[in-house]
Amino acid sequence: MCDTGCAGNAGRPNMAPVYPKAGRYPDYARLVDRNRAQVDRRVFVDEGVYQAELQQIFARSWLFLAHESQIPNPGDFIRTSMGEDDVIVVRQRDRTVRAFLNSCPHRGNRVCMVDAGSKARGFICNYHGWSFGIDGGLRGTDGKVYEKDETFEKAQIGLTPVAQVDSYKGLIFGTFDPNAPSLLEFFGPFTFYLDIMLDNDEGGTEFIGGAIKSEIDCNWKFPAENFVGDILHAFWTHQSGAQAILGGGVDLGKRYDELAFQASVYGHGIETNLDKVGNTRTLGYPELVDYVFDLSERARDRLGDLRSRAIGAISSCTIFPNFSFLPGQNTFRVWHPRGPGKIELVVWTLVNKNAPDHIKELYRKGVMMTFSPGGVFEMDDGENWEYSTRVNQGFVTRQQPLHYALGLQSADLDRDLPGHIHKGSLNDANQRLFYTRWAEFMEHDNWTDLQNGETAPPQKTASAAE
Amino acid sequence: MIIEICDSAAIPEGEIRRFEPEGFAPIAVARHEGRLYVFPDRCPHADESLAEGWLEDGRVVCGVHFAEFELDTGKVHNPPVGCPNLSFFRCEDRDGKVFATLTGGPEYV
Repeated sequence: MCDTGCAGNAGRPNMAPVYPKAGRYPDYARLVDRNRAQVDRRVFVDEGVYQAELQQIFARSWLFLAHESQIPNPGDFIRTSMGEDDVIVVRQRDRTVRAFLNSCPHRGNRVCMVDAGSKARGFICNYHGWSFGIDGGLRGTDGKVYEKDETFEKAQIGLTPVAQVDSYKGLIFGTFDPNAPSLLEFFGPFTFYLDIMLDNDEGGTEFIGGAIKSEIDCNWKFPAENFVGDILHAFWTHQSGAQAILGGGVDLGKRYDELAFQASVYGHGIETNLDKVGNTRTLGYPELVDYVFDLSERARDRLGDLRSRAIGAISSCTIFPNFSFLPGQNTFRVWHPRGPGKIELVVWTLVNKNAPDHIKELYRKGVMMTFSPGGVFEMDDGENWEYSTRVNQGFVTRQQPLHYALGLQSADLDRDLPGHIHKGSLNDANQRLFYTRWAEFMEHDNWTDLQNGETAPPQKTASAAE
Repeated sequence: MIIEICDSAAIPEGEIRRFEPEGFAPIAVARHEGRLYVFPDRCPHADESLAEGWLEDGRVVCGVHFAEFELDTGKVHNPPVGCPNLSFFRCEDRDGKVFATLTGGPEYV
């Protein structure tokens, strides 16, 4: 810097945003062993693996940012994370949504300290008073110093924009990768399953009742894989909680063998029964069960028989990598990574805008009783995930194999549904595909390979091979 | 000396426009509830353009540090440290034209 800078001949700074390039980590990709249905425990504790995840997965994937209903008006904003990157999501004066890194390009300080707000005029850095509009552009600085510096090029400076922002039926996502395929391509035909929650009624959806944040000392992949397809744990982990609320155990419904399935596309996964109200019942309010029975009937025209039976059913879903929800219980959440051994969990409650107010209120209360830090089911899960992570600090322990092999012969090739379909929801199939997707992100530095690997929807693979 | 700034119609209700009259520093012209206001297009704090800010509840809001100046009195609210009040030029809305007295500088109302 001083070679030229101190002589007064320094080149002008290049303040253009930097979007990091992906690399290739084949050694990490091999930590997922598809042939033996095993996952190497180092993926849960290794710092090198974790840094590669931030680069390969969180700097490239479309990540959940906000629900449209959280920022209805120009200047409304929320602060969230993409991986470990602090991000401001703000509604623009033209009603579009943009997102920016929450870091001043001067000395890097945060420019927004609060979690959310409405009608923001802009964001002013607390350090030297650099001021940014809600469009991210630098409006001015403090005092009359920079304005007198002839080399200062204000127009070149701004908050780094999230490269792409788009929304799907009320949910806003963003990616740091300018070359990432569209949000719809990232989902692929998995939107078929998202619509079970996002499009089961006229008028769309909204988040109600604010957000609940908590920390859990676990690797982010444990909760993500749990929601992608692990209803199995409910019969052991949640049995006492279910007993307390339902007066009995979890019941998969009479036609489980015939109807339940797992579906996976690009690592996104849903496991569901078709019992209509099994999840809703656990919130403990009979009125909600009646509401979902009615909704299920009405939704038949929009969604067809199969999906209308899944609205409140025993089911769970993860959008790769770290956004999950439970149909029926209506809890939506992001597992933000905070190092290999910690997550920050943010939880919201989603309802149909057209639902009666007292129904919305019951959802809000029901979700807080079950899936908040003090909720009976969240408490059960957190402890399991913490010890599943922490034990791997043991040098010998982390050399030991893990078993992901339930349902190896369960592929359902007959059922005409989008994605990789496996029979039954008691199955490790979606979890295997989640880790396969994880390995694809470690392996590939380009989206052509990423979108045409093993996790791609089967019909697409077939047409690509022709 | 009073000079012509622009057509009156060039200043819509609730808007601020910037003008650069020959021989004077840039000025801002705003309209609130029908009435015109003319003031230096330079915030008293950091020399930033007030025309790039906006009107809100009868106040000029500076777009840089969000100081608010009352249109009637120039009194500053929410000021960054050391930010004085805003002063205005005498102006008239006459025969479809905006006129202002720029010589002698703005006056604190």
